[in-house]
Amino acid sequence: MLTLAFDTATGVATSALVRDGEVLGERASRAARVLADAEELLQQAGADPRDLNRLVVGTGPGSFTATRMGLAAARALAFALELPLAGVSTLAALAAGAPGALPVVDAGRREVFTLVDGAPVVAAPGQLRLEPGETCVGDGAIRYRDVLEALGARIPAGESELHLPRARFHAELAGEPVDPEAVEPLYLRLPDAEQAR
Amino acid sequence: MEGSNQRAGRLILGIETSCDETAAAVVTPDGRILSNVISSQAELHARFGGVVPEVASRRHLELVVPVLREALAEADAELETLDAVAVTQGPGLVGALLVGLSAAKAVAWANRLPLVPVNHLHGHVASLYLQPEPIEPPFLCLLASGGHTLLIDVAEPGGFRVLGTTLDDAAGEAFDKGARLLGLGYPGGAAIDRLAREGDSGSYDFPVARVHGLDFSFSGLKTALLYTVRDLSEDELERRRADLAAAYQRAIVRALVARVHEAAEQNAASRIAVVGGVAANSELRAALPEAAFAPLPLCTDNAAMIASAARYTEAVPFPGYLALDAYASG
Ligand SMILES: [Zn+2]
Repeated sequence: MLTLAFDTATGVATSALVRDGEVLGERASRAARVLADAEELLQQAGADPRDLNRLVVGTGPGSFTATRMGLAAARALAFALELPLAGVSTLAALAAGAPGALPVVDAGRREVFTLVDGAPVVAAPGQLRLEPGETCVGDGAIRYRDVLEALGARIPAGESELHLPRARFHAELAGEPVDPEAVEPLYLRLPDAEQAR
Repeated sequence: MEGSNQRAGRLILGIETSCDETAAAVVTPDGRILSNVISSQAELHARFGGVVPEVASRRHLELVVPVLREALAEADAELETLDAVAVTQGPGLVGALLVGLSAAKAVAWANRLPLVPVNHLHGHVASLYLQPEPIEPPFLCLLASGGHTLLIDVAEPGGFRVLGTTLDDAAGEAFDKGARLLGLGYPGGAAIDRLAREGDSGSYDFPVARVHGLDFSFSGLKTALLYTVRDLSEDELERRRADLAAAYQRAIVRALVARVHEAAEQNAASRIAVVGGVAANSELRAALPEAAFAPLPLCTDNAAMIASAARYTEAVPFPGYLALDAYASG
């Protein structure tokens, strides 16, 4: 089974081509390039979009706009190629790439997206409850390194790939495919206009 | 049915998500519209009194694939029979544009099709090139909508040159803001148009700023209406609402028509055309009897006009478009 997985929710978009659990190739760039990356991965594997059997997309949380770029591409591909699509949260993929670590994604506005008791939440970095010496990964961990380290967190060097939601983990975590329209972004925040009401 | 003919291929799929309409259409190379599906979000934005970009973008994501599926089905077209995918690249709300662009890239990539990135303004002009009554350049074009007010010199179908633009609000925006002040709801253009028919346009004299060159300014007009409304009691406003709508509409239409005539004279334009949402306004249509107006269904944002513009725009062959980005202005 040939799986294309990608995640555009955070500042670095990731993609992976996986055949029966074996990672054939991976890319990291930005959201606007994700299909160019996918094409390169397929070419390298001597494959074609028509050879794909399954799509997996990162559903965020992250940048609203960037998350939607991945979702729109994934849903349109699922439609055009008649492929099953599964969604995997960006936080779950980050956590799977750094076992034992807490995923922390930059949410803008001095807040982060993270997991509390396994549930995705948005919170101020200074209010996270961390175990002493707990490792934090993700672009939010890099951005709020000082705050989190003051809370006792350990944070890998900024260039470590542990901070990326690598798409190989999306492929690994993907459950049963669902109706592509049911693969929805994890926004965790209402639009400002809704909040103001 | 010319079905077999159509299925021979060479169809253009257009996708448009620059503002608050999620739209997809299938058009033939000679400009026949086989389908033109528009899912308007007007109701969704009505409670905010205008388009909220993040709300619009979320809705585009929900609608984009269903809408393009419907456009293909209505045209009896398969993705395999397409010649190209056309999509609005800008200008517009970036978050909204990127939903359509991402979907368009994916559909084109899946089928190794070329992608045609279309300028939204060119799209509005190209609404005039569609069957059954296409017009040909050269002409002077007024593009007036909720997002734009432009005077455009169109010398050939592939291009356009902007002669003047609004310095503040767009004409359609002026209608929307006026409608809000009059308690008419959103979108405001149609509501004012309707109510104005019952009013006396001479009962109020709203000034329209004269700005340099061929540019427009509508913000002063909105302020004048605001002051007038503020000085009226609720009963008076109720009684005079139709008069206010009529006078306000007349001021906008007069400003547009005056500039169109000036531009036509300066550029020795033999022909005038009007496109965009405000082109649906009945008073504007009556005030420019000599002009060619975009057909009503093609005035507001739609994807048939994007597919139409693609016929005169260079396509980006596979795989050169895979990293394409949207642009907000320009
Ligand atoms: Zn428009």
